Amino acid sequence: MRFVDEFRDAELGRAVAGEILAKVKPGRHYKLMEVCGGHTHSIYKYGIDDLLPENVELVHGPGCPVCVIPMGRVDDGIALARREEVIFTCFGDMLRVPGSNGTLLDAKARGADVRMVYSPLDALRIAKANPDRTVVFFAIGFETTAPSTALTLKRAKAENVTNFLCMCNHVTIVPPLRALLESPDLRLDGFIGPGHVCTVVGARPFEFIPADYGRPLVVAGFEPLDVLQAIQMILVQLAEGRCQVENQYSRVVPYEGNLRALKVLAEVFELRPHFEWRGLGFISHSALRLSDAYREFDAEAAFDVPGVRIADPKACQCGEVLKGVIKPWECKVFGSACTPDHAIGTCMVSPEGACAAYYNFGRLAREREAV
Amino acid sequence: MRILKLDAERAIALCESADRQRRSVEVALIEAPAEGDTLLVHAGVAIAIAGRGA
Repeated sequence: MRFVDEFRDAELGRAVAGEILAKVKPGRHYKLMEVCGGHTHSIYKYGIDDLLPENVELVHGPGCPVCVIPMGRVDDGIALARREEVIFTCFGDMLRVPGSNGTLLDAKARGADVRMVYSPLDALRIAKANPDRTVVFFAIGFETTAPSTALTLKRAKAENVTNFLCMCNHVTIVPPLRALLESPDLRLDGFIGPGHVCTVVGARPFEFIPADYGRPLVVAGFEPLDVLQAIQMILVQLAEGRCQVENQYSRVVPYEGNLRALKVLAEVFELRPHFEWRGLGFISHSALRLSDAYREFDAEAAFDVPGVRIADPKACQCGEVLKGVIKPWECKVFGSACTPDHAIGTCMVSPEGACAAYYNFGRLAREREAV
Repeated sequence: MRILKLDAERAIALCESADRQRRSVEVALIEAPAEGDTLLVHAGVAIAIAGRGA
């Protein structure tokens, strides 16, 4: 398939891996963070880790939208889903994220009307087909997914749909990155920038990373050659003593982003003063809520949402995984009590979660190594 | 996803994915989409054009 096959060429991959090997200094350890869960998935699926020299370490960042939702928000969603008049809609991954007393799927099994949708526009269609019920869409995702929610809310307003509400959990990527860079636990040499988020926001919002923290960032696509080339570009910058934002994914990402999408986001959303992230705690201005012009669609304004804070289960180390402090396999319950079928933590739920990606692909390589 | 058929007035396109799944996609957020273009789609909405032409 065009735009895919050419970025999976094994021979080219080996050539780029050779260039990476030529750029690293033998005595130096390089720690690079891939910000986006899509990259984590690609790295394990295609065995990119195996092509890198031992002194180039990839650390997984907080870029999986399902993984960063705290348990309290799941409980809030379940409280809404249990209401008699509500049809609760969300993306498939979200159904299996554990709250303090089960998942949305468990709530569905107990009688709540919970439905999986592919797009918020599907939720709007359900609202129009069920005028006597209230349809709540549990919106999650970074700036990549927020335009879809924004467009849906614009349509709901234009069509005067009065039984459609949104529980907004959209988050923004820059504030958690700043929090990670401020963290004394983590020494990073560079970042693989989130290609899909950048299609919307552009590369400019990441300029603070080289400017304020002296680390390079390369915006990358999601095919194996994209990721390998981004790593090579970061290592070239480090070798040459440069530190910039570069765009490996220029075939899709304009440096200024998608101006139409940004305009819609600015109209429909505003920044929350603060939002809780799993593993990272409360981060200022790191999430979106509906703007005053769209407040009539805000589920949290329409219903009394409990707004509880729940600590993660003690055994679960998703927080450390999300901060890149430990690797998935270093978690005490990884692959034993916590598996994709019976997830304790969010990182094991979504395919973009580091634990799920590692469980599905990476652990096989480790098992081979052990043999 | 590749655009098979475009309704420019309603900003909706019938698209096909690599595994031949067909879906309608909102194209209001991208510049001048055309049949044959390959789109980057998130949650039913195109956010970028990944490639032009058939």
